[in-house]
Amino acid sequence: MASRKILIVDDNADIRLGMHLRLKANQYETFFAADAFSGVAEARKQRPDLIILDLGLPAGDGFTVMERLRQIPFLAVIPVIVVSARDGLGNQKRAYEAGAKAFLQKPVNDAELLAVIRQALGEPAGTNKPTLQGQGSV
Amino acid sequence: MTEPTRRTSELAALSHELRNALACIHQFGNILIDGLAGELSGEQREYIGIMLENASKIRRVLDSALDGAPEPIEKCLNKIERASGRET
Repeated sequence: MASRKILIVDDNADIRLGMHLRLKANQYETFFAADAFSGVAEARKQRPDLIILDLGLPAGDGFTVMERLRQIPFLAVIPVIVVSARDGLGNQKRAYEAGAKAFLQKPVNDAELLAVIRQALGEPAGTNKPTLQGQGSV
Repeated sequence: MTEPTRRTSELAALSHELRNALACIHQFGNILIDGLAGELSGEQREYIGIMLENASKIRRVLDSALDGAPEPIEKCLNKIERASGRET
């Protein structure tokens, strides 16, 4: 089966690299954007199967990205997982209202992130991939 | 901006910065421990495990003392200091 494509939208280059390494090891193909504008542009270009989205971004924010995605029919159906360092109180509710499938607060547990990705992509929970998790002690 | 609002905003910014830095420590620590950048010796794995465990302690302090806490920074800093004292 072809690799599923995941777009990572985060303004922190270290976070993008870390997620790329983890997702690549689990046979996902990754693409990147570092700001809200590029996030939407890259989603149009790559048509990913899933988007991992930070909330605090230059040139808008994660909510702006979700709002734009919802306005474009072929992008509106892409599941979005919000991974943010912002507090989970108000932002989680707002993210779900904006259409996010999940809200994870940084630092995320790798196993939890991968489980959420698989669920959002409709992959079996027991998919046997070699590097499911790290120490998991986040 | 009122003083409590300003302090809440400062705490949220502080939490945001710490969480991003912790996320990187966890991500790359787990990448190393899982051998994604090459195999490690048992000793190397042990040391990275210690690093990750201590990063988790910081996260727990952050969870209990900072997030969503609309209180003065001094009170939060005292909490962190007390929590740190208990951990050692």
